[in-house]
Amino acid sequence: MKCKRCKAQAVVALPSHNTAFCEECFYLFFTRQVETAIRRQKMFGPDDRILVALSGGKDSLTLMLELALQGYDVTGLHIDLGIGESSIQARAKVEAFCRKHSLNLRVLETASVGLAMPDVKKYIKRPVCSVCGKVKRYYFNKVAREEGFDVLATGHNLDDEAARLFANTLRWDAAYLSDQGPSLPAAEGFVRKVKPLYRLTEFETANYAFLKGIEIHSAPCPYSQGASFTNHKQLLGELEHRSPGSKFAFYDGFLRNGRPAFQLLEEEQGDELAPCRECGSPTSTELCGVCRVRMALSEKKREAGELA
Amino acid sequence: MIHVRLEPEAKDIELHRIKTVLGLLNRLELRPTMALVVRDGCLLTPDRRLYNNDHVLVRTVTSAG
Repeated sequence: MKCKRCKAQAVVALPSHNTAFCEECFYLFFTRQVETAIRRQKMFGPDDRILVALSGGKDSLTLMLELALQGYDVTGLHIDLGIGESSIQARAKVEAFCRKHSLNLRVLETASVGLAMPDVKKYIKRPVCSVCGKVKRYYFNKVAREEGFDVLATGHNLDDEAARLFANTLRWDAAYLSDQGPSLPAAEGFVRKVKPLYRLTEFETANYAFLKGIEIHSAPCPYSQGASFTNHKQLLGELEHRSPGSKFAFYDGFLRNGRPAFQLLEEEQGDELAPCRECGSPTSTELCGVCRVRMALSEKKREAGELA
Repeated sequence: MIHVRLEPEAKDIELHRIKTVLGLLNRLELRPTMALVVRDGCLLTPDRRLYNNDHVLVRTVTSAG
């Protein structure tokens, strides 16, 4: 297979684009997809300070490197969840990556704010992945706001977005469907959030990470076994194989034709937000979800004699 | 015979009568955009030939949480 641009030996074949590229031309393709995402969704400009959420996986590290290479002012934020060896390895990869590329990094340990994930799994009777996601989103937003960043960028790719849309559609979850998208504007209590990799698939980011020599943390989280999200990705992957391009068409069609309708519905029927009485973050209840978890955890640990 | 390293499982297997990358992926029940296939540090497209005693890395790309 030859590179479609320069006719050299191809290293990446992309059926959804009916094309293949050599290494250098693939970088050009990748950069243009990110540039298009930033421009079309008005994500940020050259003067904005960008906080990039870094998990240690291929997508977040790829995003950080690509934005840095494009000349943006980026700082990484890694949240150390305290999940034994898994978290130690993920943090080590992030720290080594940032050192290698001379990139700024902040690290926040959830144990230091009373939310170590092993404790959440042990004491809180809710799916740990749901609580973990909520805690991470909360602190990404909190750090971005408190440290004066203009925008929070995450490494969500097309597969993540299409799988999430699929799950939200299966439940017809109007609230989630109203605000799912690659660019969410800043609102009271919330920093602007963007997903510059939303036009690129997981396969494409994996190829980029490999070709750029990015050392990634690839071991699955020990708490995430059987997550429905992975099953949805596999279903959509099969659909994409039979009908190349359908994943992007599904997501892009939703952004153009579906989301505006759900946004109107949510404006009419959505919950009003007010500051949490403990931390001031926007919430539809008196206490935000993270403060509720923190209090419940503290109470249960005290009952169990783990706290004085 | 092809020597295959599977990641992220960190498992080594040996497969016989495999002639191409696509054949390898089919044997592993993977679609071409579900895994990277690497030989001698180079990425291989599905049409590339594989040879007896090749050592190949197959890294699935779906993040599992």
